Amino acid sequence: MAPTTEDALTKVSTDAATEFVQSFYPALQSNRGTISSFYNQTISMILFNGNVVADGKAVQEIFVNQMPPAHYEVQSFDCQIINPAYPTPTATGLKAPNETTLRDKSILVLVSGYVRFGESRDLPQRGFSETFVLVPNPSADGPKGKRKREWLIESQTFRLVV
Amino acid sequence: MDAGSTQGRVKKARGDSSRSVATGPRAHTRDRALDAIQKAISSNTSSQANVRQGGRGSNLEQVSIRGWKQSKAASNRDGGIESLITFLEKKLNSSDSKAGSRARITKSRVEGDAFIVSIRSELLDRMLKMNGFSFAGAPLTIQTYDPSANGMDQTMLSEVSRNSGAPSTADTKSKMTAILSKRYFQQQKLLNLSKLGSDPDLLAMGIFDSTSTESKFFPALMKVWEMNFDSSTARREAVESVSLADNQLANITVVTTLAQSFPDLKNLDLSNNNFKDSQSLIGWRWKFRNLEFLDLTGTPFSADPTFKDTMLKWYPKLRFLNNTEVRTAEEVAAQKKTPIPVQAPHFQDESQIGENFVKAFFVGYDNNRTDLLNGVYDNNSTFSLNVNTTAPRAQQTETAAWDPYIKKSRNLLKINHLPARMSRSFVGADKIREMWNSLPQTRHPDIGAQPEEWLIECFPIPGLPDPSGQSPTGVGGLLIMVHGKFEEINGPKVDLRSFDRTFILGPGGGMGGIRVINDILCLRAHGGHEAWMLEQPIVQATQPGQPPVQPPVAPPVAPDGYGMPAPGKPDAQVQQEQLVMQISTKTGMTLPYSEMALSGNGWNLDAALKNFEELKPFFAVFLKF
Repeated sequence: MAPTTEDALTKVSTDAATEFVQSFYPALQSNRGTISSFYNQTISMILFNGNVVADGKAVQEIFVNQMPPAHYEVQSFDCQIINPAYPTPTATGLKAPNETTLRDKSILVLVSGYVRFGESRDLPQRGFSETFVLVPNPSADGPKGKRKREWLIESQTFRLVV
Repeated sequence: MDAGSTQGRVKKARGDSSRSVATGPRAHTRDRALDAIQKAISSNTSSQANVRQGGRGSNLEQVSIRGWKQSKAASNRDGGIESLITFLEKKLNSSDSKAGSRARITKSRVEGDAFIVSIRSELLDRMLKMNGFSFAGAPLTIQTYDPSANGMDQTMLSEVSRNSGAPSTADTKSKMTAILSKRYFQQQKLLNLSKLGSDPDLLAMGIFDSTSTESKFFPALMKVWEMNFDSSTARREAVESVSLADNQLANITVVTTLAQSFPDLKNLDLSNNNFKDSQSLIGWRWKFRNLEFLDLTGTPFSADPTFKDTMLKWYPKLRFLNNTEVRTAEEVAAQKKTPIPVQAPHFQDESQIGENFVKAFFVGYDNNRTDLLNGVYDNNSTFSLNVNTTAPRAQQTETAAWDPYIKKSRNLLKINHLPARMSRSFVGADKIREMWNSLPQTRHPDIGAQPEEWLIECFPIPGLPDPSGQSPTGVGGLLIMVHGKFEEINGPKVDLRSFDRTFILGPGGGMGGIRVINDILCLRAHGGHEAWMLEQPIVQATQPGQPPVQPPVAPPVAPDGYGMPAPGKPDAQVQQEQLVMQISTKTGMTLPYSEMALSGNGWNLDAALKNFEELKPFFAVFLKF
């Protein structure tokens, strides 16, 4: 791995987390048909209030068919690099540390905010906390010619906390 | 109580000493009158919260210092507090080098933009003379500290007293306190402010003689009420019901501050007033979020066809309107239901690594952060915190200021510049130690004794960095999410806050063969634990809160083919699996735990065994077995 400076590491991770947070929550709210595109093929775990959900497709299914309209408000979030030389899968196996680039990182993201289930402004604001592990998108292209998502959800734990 | 001590006490009552307590015989008469009123109130203990006394029962004086937040020192790690104390002590000493003992600031705290210090009373004059001194480029405002006055209420009170011809602010304050004490029913938690216009005491004060006094009277009354409590929690808990019936109110303009003094009110009687429509009440549209009972009978608005729907919409917890049930308790509860059912925490742990870590962590964080850091953090561990200052809060709580944290908060919504993002991330045990030592002391509830206060989830994740470099494709570890509350101890002041904290643990050279790779903390206003309570609690065997369990000693069961060569399986892996089985047999630890112990020790069997011996006291000592 080429030596990287601390600013490059901070930039790549905080940019990744910011872009993720700013696109994922709006999708939960008003673009639910794209939800599965945020998820990695292999998933460690997806938890919603303690309910295990199998994969991104299942998450999308739940949001499209079972969830009432919801308004999400992210009030605070932060991220940290987990593995600076993440073994991203390639066609020939996992990348070794000496093959990784600046983008081969896994990133921990912690989000705090509120969600309102239902359309009325009068419904209660429920505080939530959500933890993500993001990993690089190993595939070269985005879905059907769209710009590919650089980072995908490898694990997700959502909890209502207020 | 003799006259001398009375006088002394009244003189100490802040805000009075220079402005309104004059010298001479008239002042003495008034002091006695004030004292008589206060005594009358104090003796009536069953129904009245006592007027806060000016004296503090010791010869320490409190002084407030403002302006330091504009100084260059404010950008210091501690907000400039340490240099401010050094500066003040130096100036106190240099002004009189012959003083017998060194001037010391024995106690201090931050209240908003004020820094409050306690000093010996003989130093008070010297301290006050330092008013206007320049500290790190900013002029300081130094005044005696008045716990009950914040400028505004004093102004209001003095205006009310001036306009109503009252002899002094203190006089108005004590008269209002007496009126409030007659109208407060402690048992019922009721403050009855009905028929104020015909209250003989208020009429005697001349409150309603001019419109200007009338409009300032109610806010002043609310301020006097607030002054009578030492803590905001006590104040909030003192009253559940308020009546403003029979006050000829056409709108809430003059009484609007009621919502600030009693935000958590459950019962509100506004009957027999002149509210015409919802606009007359619009200022309370988003107030009183916990209102259950509202009476507007005898108001023109009640006859409005939209009346019921509007009030139901405004107040989500409203159950009774004009003495009629408009929502059942079940209907109120149903509004809180979430489309995602709340399940017991998912806790998938191996050999109680996650459980033991969490239990040891919070005991260590409260009692000995340095030992905790030495034990499980290394040079690559990362810590950062972010404050959600606008998070939803639980009822009956007021959030303390975020000053001790806000300069370190790495909320990426707000911290946009790369250098700030870098400086607010702490990598390595030494940097984390420095950071943690600058944070307030904490007290978390005991996980075993109060498991309901905690929600902890945990599962294994792959792809973590291997500090030994033996596993190029990464090693496995645990992702742990903890939600709970803690008490923050700032001298005598204790604040309650909630937090969310996520850890990633991997194999490493720390105690128990683990290391903390990531530790990310979010702080927010106290939000209670109702959100994760189950309707029918399910007890899970692996849930934290169960008595601690030693690493299991049952013989490990290896999956088929484990430790055996197979087509496509690298030799290195076979060797590692065999080592894992070896250490597992020797120690009785499960295979995943044995693997973590080995990979955390560079796959050296002896080192891993030695580590296992260290592991036992780790659990024993840390968890106080």
